Amino acid sequence: MTILDSLYQNLDTAFAFKQGWEAWLALIAASLGTYICRAIGVKLSGQVNQDSEFFRWLSAVTYAMVAALTIRLIFLPIGLLSTVPLYLRVLVCLLALGVMISNPSRRLVPALLIGTLMMVTIGVIR
Amino acid sequence: MSISHPSPDPSSDNLERVSPRFQDRQDAFWSGVRDGRGAPAMVLFAGMVGFGAMGRTNGFDLWFTTATSFLMFALPGQIVMLEMILLGASSVTIALATSLTATRFVTMTATLFPMLHERDRNKVLYAKVHVLAMTAWAVSLKEFQTIEPKHRLSYFSGLGVLCWLISVPGTIVGFLIAGSVPMPITLGLIFINPLFFLLTFTEIKISGYRLAILLGCIVVPIFYLIDRDTSLLTAGLVGGTLAYWIDRKWIRRYDQKRSA
Repeated sequence: MTILDSLYQNLDTAFAFKQGWEAWLALIAASLGTYICRAIGVKLSGQVNQDSEFFRWLSAVTYAMVAALTIRLIFLPIGLLSTVPLYLRVLVCLLALGVMISNPSRRLVPALLIGTLMMVTIGVIR
Repeated sequence: MSISHPSPDPSSDNLERVSPRFQDRQDAFWSGVRDGRGAPAMVLFAGMVGFGAMGRTNGFDLWFTTATSFLMFALPGQIVMLEMILLGASSVTIALATSLTATRFVTMTATLFPMLHERDRNKVLYAKVHVLAMTAWAVSLKEFQTIEPKHRLSYFSGLGVLCWLISVPGTIVGFLIAGSVPMPITLGLIFINPLFFLLTFTEIKISGYRLAILLGCIVVPIFYLIDRDTSLLTAGLVGGTLAYWIDRKWIRRYDQKRSA
């Protein structure tokens, strides 16, 4: 019952307004900045031919950027994930990749589940 | 992702590269919703649950945390913003840093939308682009190859809107259960996002883009050491350009020689 108890306790305070206007201002500015990046993409897409060399370059840059983001999340995490040793994070990734590669077209969900459950197990053991 | 690919029709094999997959736009839209209900929505939901939990444990209120998911709809940027608010950064700095993490949308959109039908490439895209995120982009890019151009936007809308709308309940659930579930479960939830990104890389078959992924992985630690906030941008530009150049200079030439 402890989970339910703490849930009730949470609900007691969950709906209070706590944020000041500075935080909301930051959110509006950040949302605008994020949207502008999406809009620039639309603007550019009107001028980019799919078979052009520029399109190939742009795709390569995007893939490299997404790969960089992934590596940063796995190898240089912030917060709770950084409490898990690096070799365990890498091990979980390798095992999930192994499951995925064994049949790439239909093993995405099993690979994800195995990776996540292993991370939960690591959290329980430690 | 339980995506049912149409069985190849031998009669139209050489006439058209893409065989008709949907009857009309509505069919394509709901097919996008159906495809989204599997892994993409599950992954996004879990990611948003993790974000909601982060907001709760760091003392943000429910309204602010949920509005962040709804208005920004970009997990890396959202996380960067929460951290910077905690550090007491100014609004201008926060906007700059989150926009830098969002620069990937420029290239993601510019690579995905040229694949749409000419008729669909109008002003409405400026509204629809808000639902574009990593998950919908990765799935669309893969699925578009087997969808006729005229149905691609409907498919994308179905998938994207579902992912966007699911981010709100996801954040609320995460916020409410934070502190109620044991730490290991939270740990598993926050690991889903990076793992999903990593796994989708195995589905990319073009060697030039595989090289871009590899180089992006290799150069990012270097740029991270130089400057944390801009490292994604610089690693993408340098790794991607290098991969493009190597691909153009050697790989494509080699492929041409081999096929000749």
